[in-house]
Amino acid sequence: MKKIFASLLAPLVFLVCAGLTQDLALRGGTVLTITQGVIENGTVVIRNGKITAVGRDVAIPAGVRVIDVAGRYVMPGVIDSHSHIGFSGDDINEMTDPVTPQIWMKEALDPWEDSILKTLSGGVTTVKTMHGSANVIGGVNVTIKLKYGSPVEEMIVPGVRQQLKLALGENPKRLYGQQKGVLPSTRMGSAYILRKAFTEAREYMERWARYEKNTAAGKKDLLPPKKDLLMETLKMVLEKKLAADCHVYRADEIVWVINFAREFGIDIKQLSHCVDGYKVADVMARAGVSFGGWVDWWGFKEEAYDGCPYGFKIMYDAGTNIIINSDSDDEGRYLNLNAAKVLKYNDIPEAEALKMITLNPAKSLEMEGRAGSLEVGKDGDIAVFEKHPLDSTTKCLLTIIEGKVYFDYAKDSQAAKEASHD
Amino acid sequence: MIKGKGMLGVGVFLLGLALSALGQQTILIRNGRIVPVVGPVIEKGCLLIEKGKIVRIAGDIAAPADAVVIEAEGKSVYPGLIAPMTAIGLTGYPGAGDDLDEVGISVPQMDPFDALNPEDECIEVARLEGVTTVLTIAGTQNVISGQSILVHLDGDLAGDMLIKKNVAQIFNLAARQQGKYPVTLPGVMALIRDKLNQTRRYIEARKLMEKKAGAKPEEAKVEGMGEESFKPSPELEALVPVVQGEVLVVFVTNNEVTIGNALALIKEFNLKGILYATADVLAYADQIKERQIPLIWAGTTNVPRRWEASDHNFRAGSILARKGILFAFDQLGWGPGNRNVRNLPVPAAHSVAHGLAEEEAIRAMTINPAKIFGVEKELGSLEVGKTADLALWSGSPLQMRSRVEKVIIQGRIIPPESVQTRLRDKFEKIVRERRSKPGN
Repeated sequence: MKKIFASLLAPLVFLVCAGLTQDLALRGGTVLTITQGVIENGTVVIRNGKITAVGRDVAIPAGVRVIDVAGRYVMPGVIDSHSHIGFSGDDINEMTDPVTPQIWMKEALDPWEDSILKTLSGGVTTVKTMHGSANVIGGVNVTIKLKYGSPVEEMIVPGVRQQLKLALGENPKRLYGQQKGVLPSTRMGSAYILRKAFTEAREYMERWARYEKNTAAGKKDLLPPKKDLLMETLKMVLEKKLAADCHVYRADEIVWVINFAREFGIDIKQLSHCVDGYKVADVMARAGVSFGGWVDWWGFKEEAYDGCPYGFKIMYDAGTNIIINSDSDDEGRYLNLNAAKVLKYNDIPEAEALKMITLNPAKSLEMEGRAGSLEVGKDGDIAVFEKHPLDSTTKCLLTIIEGKVYFDYAKDSQAAKEASHD
Repeated sequence: MIKGKGMLGVGVFLLGLALSALGQQTILIRNGRIVPVVGPVIEKGCLLIEKGKIVRIAGDIAAPADAVVIEAEGKSVYPGLIAPMTAIGLTGYPGAGDDLDEVGISVPQMDPFDALNPEDECIEVARLEGVTTVLTIAGTQNVISGQSILVHLDGDLAGDMLIKKNVAQIFNLAARQQGKYPVTLPGVMALIRDKLNQTRRYIEARKLMEKKAGAKPEEAKVEGMGEESFKPSPELEALVPVVQGEVLVVFVTNNEVTIGNALALIKEFNLKGILYATADVLAYADQIKERQIPLIWAGTTNVPRRWEASDHNFRAGSILARKGILFAFDQLGWGPGNRNVRNLPVPAAHSVAHGLAEEEAIRAMTINPAKIFGVEKELGSLEVGKTADLALWSGSPLQMRSRVEKVIIQGRIIPPESVQTRLRDKFEKIVRERRSKPGN
């Protein structure tokens, strides 16, 4: 009787477990919490997609799937706050006008795009996937969890402000001024375009405010102002419902855009491609704007000539929030290796290098309450590495988002594929 | 007699000047972990350098009186890394000009030595991270892209940098042109075949006319040439040593089709071919091994295709090594215009993460490229008699956080400076001073 009961129960238990795929315990690994040190022989428990326990002596609730990670390294999922993955068509740049804030990148996102899978293989769980740098005012970027194959709305990180893409420097000058003979062909032109657009957006806001005020006061027969989709997005920026990310290389432009943002009340969270950031690290730190960029890219165009991998120490000492980005389908797969390069060129604590690919980007994306470190209450976004993630001969074995395994090296690797052919 | 002696004295003096100008000191590296790359690691040993050469490697060497002594306790000595496909020297500081890729579908006469700029700031940046020798190429964008030279990353004048001219000709089998012949891969093949056939006939014609006219081939007429007299062609002249197997050909390929085409051409024209592959190399691994064709594997950092596993290209190195194929690493990046030649260890590290032995990975950045380019007697390992190109590392070159603490090229200790260290020093001071001002 007992046996029959058990055999009846087994599929039921299985069903329950399958339903709760977002319950998971990783047991016995070296846990790099980022905010609370390293826990040897530690366990992380995830329930309903959230971390419920992190520690050495942690009870694993019954029914929770357990993965033994002894000898492995468990860290928060890597966050890349400058990526262009997930767009299967040629949808990165609406390269038809230097001002296109009506563009929303989430409307080009393909959940089945292969670059998402390949990026998952590097332990990456969240990316801000972006409009390109063709336009002075580009489209609205989208911050997503790499839930491959899920509906777009489920991939978008809820409750965080999305960021409008701005771009200064040579790209808009080249694409418009040089190639089409229109504004901007100079940095002054780009500055003018930004100032003009946001000035018009202020007027647009005032028009709507006036209309709403008059309507509220009971005035009749009023024609509402014309709805302008470009202005609608810029209005959201001025109302701080959207933040911004600005592509900028040169130190003078970094300072310029920080002043511009202050003047108009725009929340620029990150400066991307920010190769000169170290030259004005203190200005960036005071403004609370993050550095987003590469460790050692330099010289691939004139405005990138002063890229300097030693600059990280200057920024660290000045208190700049430093973020390592990929801006590359290739390097997005090994941001941990790029974090190790920081330590080659700079005397910075090891834990700080790991923050540059986890907690620091989480801050600039305004999601540090839910990602970027292994703490109770945060999302169960985790990367498991074979060796320490700052060991350049390591590899990612598991990538987990909200308790669900999205990448498993043992199943995805070439060896696994070859075995399946036999 | 006295005059003669004086001349000799002046000669010796000048030689001394030249050596000191090159900075070729007697250097003793003491108590380091010496990784010769060929042969076993010496856990604690000494290495003596004289006149630009390695003259002794032993457990203990007494310091000669004039020697600069480098204490290497806890450090590792590796041979200098060799980057097998770069544009170093051709892409200088902004405004200095970018001299990669001359116009033309077939430009085998282009010699990068004619554009080599010793002030290219990529030189200092690359050598500070342990790269001491590079192959600098004329380009890759043409079907027949031109010549390549091996250079040391040190020297005041272009000639000081040069190791070997006309090392290899670059054929790009994927270099379809835009709007002009050839726009297809078969067109690329036909163009190369045509040029090589013409070169064969050119050699024959020259031979026949030399036979007829002695030293004046341009005055002779040969049956089959019509009324034309023999016209020297700089283009075909440059292909003569290629056809005769005296100059290597690097075949740039980007997939299975172009690798197959490269292997076909090597056989058809009996060329001394090297394969440069950015994908699909495993499909031909057995053939490459059987025919002993050297390989430059640049596909490690290439993102695998949709149907390929995420580690598809990371794993290739271990399989190539297991099959006994002679290969060197290169990183794809932005191609040869890439300024980050210092990242040569990145593909090696990925390959080790996915099964390649560490020693094999180091060889694929040192002795293997030396063998591929035929300079293994001078470069690529730490052995007595070889050129003193080496670096002192804080750890394995495969670890991105390892630091290069000393670089020696041809027996000269390289100053630890580059455009980037200068920027660091300048702005560290500027930012520090600004931060210390009241109100900041």
